[in-house]
Amino acid sequence: MTMTKRNSRDVWIILLLVLGLAIVVLPMIYMISTSLKPNGALYEYPPKFFPKLKDITLENFAYILGQKKFLGNFLNSIIVSVLTVVASAIVSSALAFCIARYAFPGRRLVFGFIILTMIIPGTTMIVPQYELAVKLGTLNSIWGLIPFYVAWVIPYSTFMIKGFVENIPKELDEATFMDGGTVFTVYQNVAIPLAKPGIASVSIFNFLTAWEEFPWANTVINDDLKRTLPIAISGFFGQHQFTQWGYVFALSVLSLVPILIVFISCQRFFVQGLTAGSVKG
Amino acid sequence: MKLNGKSKAQILGLLFPGIFIFGMFTVYPIVRLFWMSFFKWDFGSFLNQEFIGFRNYADVLSDENFRIAFTNTIVYTLVTVPAQMLLGLLVALLIHSVSHFKIGFRVAYYLPVITSWVIASLVFKYVFNTEGLLNYFLTNVIHVTSQNIRWLDSRWGGMTVAMLLGIWKGIGWNMVVFLAALQTVPLELYESASLDGAGSFRKFWYITLPGIKATILFALVMLTIGGFNVYTSTKLITGGKPGHDTEVVLTWMYYKAFSNGKFGYSAALSFIIAVVLGILAVVQFRLMKAKDEG
Amino acid sequence: MKERKKVLAILLASVTCVAAMAGCAKSPAEPVSDNKSQETAQTSETGSEASGEEVTINFWHHYSAQSAENETLTSVLIPKFEEENPGIKVNAVSHEWADLHDKLLISAESNTLPDVARLDSAWIPEFEKMGILVPLNQEMSDYTEVAGGLLDSAMSTAEIAGNQYGLALNTNTKILFYNVEAFKAAGLEAPKTMDEFVEDCKKLAGTNENGQQVWGYDEPGLSGWNLCPFIWSMGGSLTNEDQTKATGYLNSPETVAAIDMFASLYKENAITGWNSGDIPMTDGFGTGRYAMLLEGPWKVAEMAGAYPDFAYETAPVPAGKGGSISVLGGEDISMFNSANKDAAWKFMKFMTSEYAQEEMAKCGQIPCNKEALESDTVKQADFAPYIEQLQTAKSRPTVACWSEFDSELAAAVTEVVNGDKTAQEAMDELAAKVDGLLAE
Repeated sequence: MTMTKRNSRDVWIILLLVLGLAIVVLPMIYMISTSLKPNGALYEYPPKFFPKLKDITLENFAYILGQKKFLGNFLNSIIVSVLTVVASAIVSSALAFCIARYAFPGRRLVFGFIILTMIIPGTTMIVPQYELAVKLGTLNSIWGLIPFYVAWVIPYSTFMIKGFVENIPKELDEATFMDGGTVFTVYQNVAIPLAKPGIASVSIFNFLTAWEEFPWANTVINDDLKRTLPIAISGFFGQHQFTQWGYVFALSVLSLVPILIVFISCQRFFVQGLTAGSVKG
Repeated sequence: MKLNGKSKAQILGLLFPGIFIFGMFTVYPIVRLFWMSFFKWDFGSFLNQEFIGFRNYADVLSDENFRIAFTNTIVYTLVTVPAQMLLGLLVALLIHSVSHFKIGFRVAYYLPVITSWVIASLVFKYVFNTEGLLNYFLTNVIHVTSQNIRWLDSRWGGMTVAMLLGIWKGIGWNMVVFLAALQTVPLELYESASLDGAGSFRKFWYITLPGIKATILFALVMLTIGGFNVYTSTKLITGGKPGHDTEVVLTWMYYKAFSNGKFGYSAALSFIIAVVLGILAVVQFRLMKAKDEG
Repeated sequence: MKERKKVLAILLASVTCVAAMAGCAKSPAEPVSDNKSQETAQTSETGSEASGEEVTINFWHHYSAQSAENETLTSVLIPKFEEENPGIKVNAVSHEWADLHDKLLISAESNTLPDVARLDSAWIPEFEKMGILVPLNQEMSDYTEVAGGLLDSAMSTAEIAGNQYGLALNTNTKILFYNVEAFKAAGLEAPKTMDEFVEDCKKLAGTNENGQQVWGYDEPGLSGWNLCPFIWSMGGSLTNEDQTKATGYLNSPETVAAIDMFASLYKENAITGWNSGDIPMTDGFGTGRYAMLLEGPWKVAEMAGAYPDFAYETAPVPAGKGGSISVLGGEDISMFNSANKDAAWKFMKFMTSEYAQEEMAKCGQIPCNKEALESDTVKQADFAPYIEQLQTAKSRPTVACWSEFDSELAAAVTEVVNGDKTAQEAMDELAAKVDGLLAE
């Protein structure tokens, strides 16, 4: 294949990819452009994809940022997501390490349940989980969200990290023991550092899960100030009211920022994690 | 390697937090769910439940609305799973074959995946509004229809929007998974095929597809589970309307529990979904294993 | 590349640090209960504000989150109440109307009810049957005095078997709103009869100069609140007088005729509004897409906010052979069994006081406090058309199964307007079903 032929083929493929991309990102661009329109223009005629340059306004963003409760919702989401990520990283890596390395009694049972719960949609458990939250007194509290989120992400996280731990040569464990190490030191000095890419990739996934979770938080949280972002966003809708789409999309755009930062800064690990999972099945 | 008492204690220490949280917040609810499904467990009788055997299951299975919701979920899965996989694979093949901007494309095509379901659903609801941008485009710009299409107001219109959203949001994940798989297919195979004079299609059919078979099955299992997980999109886009025509199994389960107070019914419904998915997953895993060995 | 590594290094460092610190001996993510809310729950149980402890009462309502009412509540009324009653804090929570009902049911099951709630008066029988409401006349020593200051007719919405389960907070009903310009252009006047209404809907529907569809009338739902004015004005009914039987009433020729009218107007593209894809009511009316609405006094403030230049007028509900009969709306403020009763009662008295009622009247809430009704604010607010319509307005069936009845009604009518069933078939089936509900 000659160089020019290859280049011209590349150009065609890139054009095709750009075209596909245009369709894929269209809804997101429309969301951003709508958030920049004045609220009254939302049922304008003809509807415009972009507002006229002179009509662009930040009033929707000003409104959102001017409301203390949305700042609170933002912080709630950050707290819940970060704590979910940290707790599940520790707990799942420890579980994965033990399952991969030690034949403790009940290992098959634990792993069996992990696989089983990967299959069952989390939302199906919402009724007994609600009952549990009532008994524990964790309704209407952002702290009450975290253990449930951690429990939800444990199966997938453990499954993925286990794959990484299994790839670590056992000789490293033995060497650590020779140096007077213990099970803890192996976990801390061998397993965690070497399974880093796996832990990082599931952590991104877990962050997204906690950040966007809707049904559970919507069921257990009542107070405006305790809501997480998805609940705050959907809270703009009232049946008999007019919907302020400008506010909805301004808050949506703002809520995408943290997840974009996390994803773009860590996307390399994300791909690694997915790859390991897919190849291992 | 012999483990001494201290090591055993440490292993226990490592296992405990995970097993505690997982056991309490996931395994216990599943067991409880199974238990609840055999009781009359309604608003007003939260504390004195009555054992009614399989009546909840019978109620679910004879419920017209459940049948609608179940059919909707099956159709959703049957449409979105292959569509996402095909489009994701196509994009992955294209990205795999270019020599520039690989990472840029990969990141950009992944954006819908990281857009939360709530936001994506609201954007789609807005775009597919009867007075929305899409209808304006269809009627006034390219004139394929003279009347606004009432996307959100009928069963299959509403389901179409939910399915389009599901496909839109899923392409990125499939793209990344298949891209990773494509990189594992040995280049030498393609080179020797080229020497034999094989065309692109033959190479795809005889080298690429067999090379990524395991990944295809992996994606199939994950996406089938994902299809049954659909909840937020239909809840926010149509709210199950008109009537209950656009409910899916999870929104119907939720409605019966939290709006009608039929907790026993919902528990039975949840359990039915879990069993259906369990069977599907086992079949698919078996299939995967058989192919791996074959 | 380096940046990325840094972010990840920080992430991992923190993970390993915490792991090391925790020594993995104890669970780092044990369920942390919300101490604060438990504290308040406890204090509200013991209810001793005399000890100087601060009490928080939870107040749930369905003033929309972005409405003028909510603004008045949170930035005028509650601060004023808290100032007058040191030691009591009010935590007001806004829910969407349908959500509020469901959340209250769920909370009742899990013993997490708020102290006080603003309830649609149609829900009172259901909650009373569940035994979660406090009979105020029995438990509050100064009840008679407080109730004496409120409108009797409105107070009757919270009365069951001689007991009073709430204070009337506001009353309302719906009247006809119409687009002045559209009516002028079509050479029409506000419809006085149901026949005229049907004709006007057809005449006003069509397309505007942009080629967009325009509808004669908008109805944002198909439940009792939406359909009753038509059913009653056309001489139909939902149940018998005793509210024990629906067959013969819900499927009477008059009721069926009202449903048929809706279905055929919808088929002719003359009315719309209940579909998910339709333009929301206020936007559709303000942009001239819907020519008529039936709405309550709150609409005035909403239109002034969103479409200040739009010209509209109001008229009574068009009369049929049953007369001009609208649906009685209105909310009661009620206390739940689990409440901190002293603090809750103080707040309820405050919300029904002349001051609070007058403030709320500014955003379109018709007061139930007799003194507030005489105030200048109310006179200026021009509630006269609503008060006139209230003379003949009827309340929806005051039965415990109303919520279920209501959603069954909406489901049945949806099938009719979508052409799946005839009105007669659907109403016959519904009446049989409702007979069962009423007998329970």
